[in-house]
Amino acid sequence: MRKSAILVFLFSICFATVKVQAQWKKNKALADTKIWRYDIECAGLGKQGSKLVKVWSYSKNPKHAIASAMRNAVHGIIFKGYAGGGQGCTAFKPLVRDPAAESQHQAFFDAFFAEGGEYLKYVSSATDGQIAAEDRLKVSKREYKIGAIVTVMTDLLRKRLEKEGIVRALNAGF
Amino acid sequence: MYKIKFIFTCLTLFIACVVSGQAKKPTLMVVPSDAWCIQHGYVQSFDDQGTEVEVPDYKRAFQNNPEVLQVISQINGMMAERGFPLKNMESAIKTLQSNSAEDMLRQSKSGGGIIESPIDALKKAAKADIIIQLTWTINNVGPKKSVNFNLQGLDAYTDKQIATATGTGAPSFSAAVPVLLSEAVISHMDNFTSSLQDYFDDMFENGREIIVRIQTWDNWEGDLEQNYGGGDELGYVIESWIRDHSVKGRFNTTDFTENMMLFEQVRIPLFDASNHAIDARRYLRDLSRYLSAAPFNIPNKLVMKGLGRATIILGSK
Repeated sequence: MRKSAILVFLFSICFATVKVQAQWKKNKALADTKIWRYDIECAGLGKQGSKLVKVWSYSKNPKHAIASAMRNAVHGIIFKGYAGGGQGCTAFKPLVRDPAAESQHQAFFDAFFAEGGEYLKYVSSATDGQIAAEDRLKVSKREYKIGAIVTVMTDLLRKRLEKEGIVRALNAGF
Repeated sequence: MYKIKFIFTCLTLFIACVVSGQAKKPTLMVVPSDAWCIQHGYVQSFDDQGTEVEVPDYKRAFQNNPEVLQVISQINGMMAERGFPLKNMESAIKTLQSNSAEDMLRQSKSGGGIIESPIDALKKAAKADIIIQLTWTINNVGPKKSVNFNLQGLDAYTDKQIATATGTGAPSFSAAVPVLLSEAVISHMDNFTSSLQDYFDDMFENGREIIVRIQTWDNWEGDLEQNYGGGDELGYVIESWIRDHSVKGRFNTTDFTENMMLFEQVRIPLFDASNHAIDARRYLRDLSRYLSAAPFNIPNKLVMKGLGRATIILGSK
């Protein structure tokens, strides 16, 4: 009886430790990329209503950079946009033009970009999470720059922001 | 009874609130450019006093070129998704033709027909407030093909280019032309709608830009340099009225003679004092009334062209 109680106790401690560690890792990944330090570029022509982008995320841990790619891509489409380039790419202006919009709607964006947040509805990996060797760069002794190609559903994202009143719809006021 | 009256009043107020406060929505239509029509041979030629003139034959273009239909259909679809469905030019041409046929055959019970002046006949054309002019060319470099795509949003009244998207797509060895065109539309429409959005934002902030013309009938005894009631010359009176009634006093007097005046870049409010949406005609109605009243007592005729152009002709109705 006593032996089994000790076993249960030890098992609980192990489980709790693993969970805390996982949470710590997630928080670290978020903290690593919290300052929205990333580069976004067009990676080709997506389907109608979507954009195919390559996001370069920076982190001390390459795994964190990969995990943040989707979040950064959605953030980039909303606030950064990108210049045109090869592969038939044209320049894309960000969905939100007002630089103050992010702070004005901070509560919404905090929840939107939270771990497992709503942003995941509008983005998917275009390469099954595979990162090409040339897209895995060590830029300094302790930092990696990882390029991931993702698809962002820009039309759906824009509609969501229009619904929230952050972006003005084309037919607004008519 | 009192309750019913109260409900009715509330309902009327609610409807008034919903109906007013919405600016007049411009109509948009995609039109193949003259350059594209001439390049593809969709033109009608006629002799204009010794000069051969070519005009686009849109009907033939729509009937014979499936690519133009595909591109227009795709643009229409993408604009409808943005809550801005476009006028379809092909349908507009068909409707005009069927209306003309109906008008010719229509007779009242007393034997009367539909009256139509030459101006009425001239105005029977497929029109929109904003014309989206479409041009593309296929570039062939060896076995590679690419599409040069140009989309221009033109204000039908001020002739200004208000939106644009242009560029050359990625060259391809294997893709068919319809695929390249589809890719071009997908890659350019966001930029186009973005510049259109800028135009609308500016319109909501600074008012609608219109053209105002003042003309005179040849049998009118007065002119725009005449003084009325000891005041300023009529032309300056009209100019002052435009200045006082335009948004932030924004307008340009482009031409001014004793017989005519032309005001461009006149920014008019989108709503009147009772919060009803107005256009160029509604805006100039007040000037027309002002000139009809003392001390001027000038009878005048107000004619319009869409949302953004109106003319007052002085001297008679």
